[in-house]
Amino acid sequence: MGTSIVITSGKGGVGKTTSSANIGTALALLGKKVCLVDLDIGLRNLDIVMGLENRIIYDIVDVVSGTCRLEQALMLDKRVPGLALLPAAQHRDKTAVSPADVRAIIDDLKRQYDMVMIDCPAGIEHGFQVSVAGADEAIVITTPEHTAVRDADRVIGMLESDRGLSPKLVINRIRPRMVQRGDMLDIDEIVHLLGIDLLGIVPDDEDVIRNGNRGEPVVLRTDSRAALAYRNIARRILGESVPLEVLDEPQGLWSRMRRLIGGR
Amino acid sequence: MGFMRDIDKKLPVSVKGTKHGLLFLLDDQCDFDHLLACLGDLLHGETATVFTGPPVDVFIDYGCRELSPDQARDLLNLFLQKDNFVLREWGGRLTLRRSGGTALGLATRPQSIHKGTVRAGQRLVFEGDVVVVGDVNPGGEIVASGDIFVLGRLSGVAHAGASGDVSSVIGAAEFSPMQLRIAGTVRRAPEVDGRAMETFMEFAYLRDGGMAVDRMEYLPYIRRSVR
Repeated sequence: MGTSIVITSGKGGVGKTTSSANIGTALALLGKKVCLVDLDIGLRNLDIVMGLENRIIYDIVDVVSGTCRLEQALMLDKRVPGLALLPAAQHRDKTAVSPADVRAIIDDLKRQYDMVMIDCPAGIEHGFQVSVAGADEAIVITTPEHTAVRDADRVIGMLESDRGLSPKLVINRIRPRMVQRGDMLDIDEIVHLLGIDLLGIVPDDEDVIRNGNRGEPVVLRTDSRAALAYRNIARRILGESVPLEVLDEPQGLWSRMRRLIGGR
Repeated sequence: MGFMRDIDKKLPVSVKGTKHGLLFLLDDQCDFDHLLACLGDLLHGETATVFTGPPVDVFIDYGCRELSPDQARDLLNLFLQKDNFVLREWGGRLTLRRSGGTALGLATRPQSIHKGTVRAGQRLVFEGDVVVVGDVNPGGEIVASGDIFVLGRLSGVAHAGASGDVSSVIGAAEFSPMQLRIAGTVRRAPEVDGRAMETFMEFAYLRDGGMAVDRMEYLPYIRRSVR
């Protein structure tokens, strides 16, 4: 029996879908059987980030309505063995599935996969309730902004009181320079405020956007700081103790010259 | 309480004069018969005349002792035999409650302890006083008809004296509230250089119609003048 993990944030645009894709892929790279489930019904994105959009035939609403079997809707990723995606429907809305439907599907998936990663829609309404219904664990994504942290706090409160979960925190899109200048909330401040375990920090990295647009999760690359961060998060999920990455960028003359001549 | 314990060793009964009347503190550790004998001596022996005179309100605090109905009756009888004693209150740990801020003789109000953080979007409402063991985060709100004390960082909204008690106070270990309300008065957090002020171990109370903030150690003095 596998574990289901919902990835949520409250606020939109903080990187839930990107994180789902990358953490899921990283877990699969570590040898786990992983199924990604997109529950952002009506605004489906996870398939685009995974580069599987053009292979969709059936989606989760078809499974719920009995149009197809669960296995028919699952798409296997050709790059990473053991990675599958259950896409959301594009032409329906969140009310097309109920918490009980999702719980049944997740339970089914947990029998076949080690990890079921649930990509939750933004907001705290029906779509959120549906997404957390089948989750054993939760990861809350935030960015170092007051708005995102406030919404994360709200969502953590709901996960704790309504579902009795102890969510873990991922801080996404950190810009080390801005933090150093004091223009961005720093990690300690966020962790202190939210008061939950920190699972990982992901630096703001152009590669993430570039790869997302290409339909290739950044974690498949070996030369990106964000990829390393996501791989470390996956290892921490599996219980390894991996120290937090140091995000300080060297700012000496030498590093600037190296940047000029194209080095990283 | 430290010095009182020393006195207790000599005599299991201590008597304190308060502005409400006489407070009898009965030792809760010694043998019950010893306590009864000493109290009998005190009230009806040589010192009996000290306690005779005009009617006086009497408060009795038997501490943590578990009293059987018979023992309670024996103790009470000693007090009831004094014609001028008007028994006002009889209970355990009255002093504890009094030092917690409730004036002796006034009706005691419920006191709650909330363990855990009050997060954004959560609004907790309490009857009486409340102690939050945890933080009140920005966007979170805690409401009480009595006092509010936060053993953590108060950075959300706190509303003390929600049903109109202007003597209520709001205190916090880390005091950086977004907004404070006491009874009908609302204040934003004081700002220093455009950033919300952050201080340690402070509390807010109403003074001359406005809201004042002071260090926690002054709470007993302010409380005395408020009551």
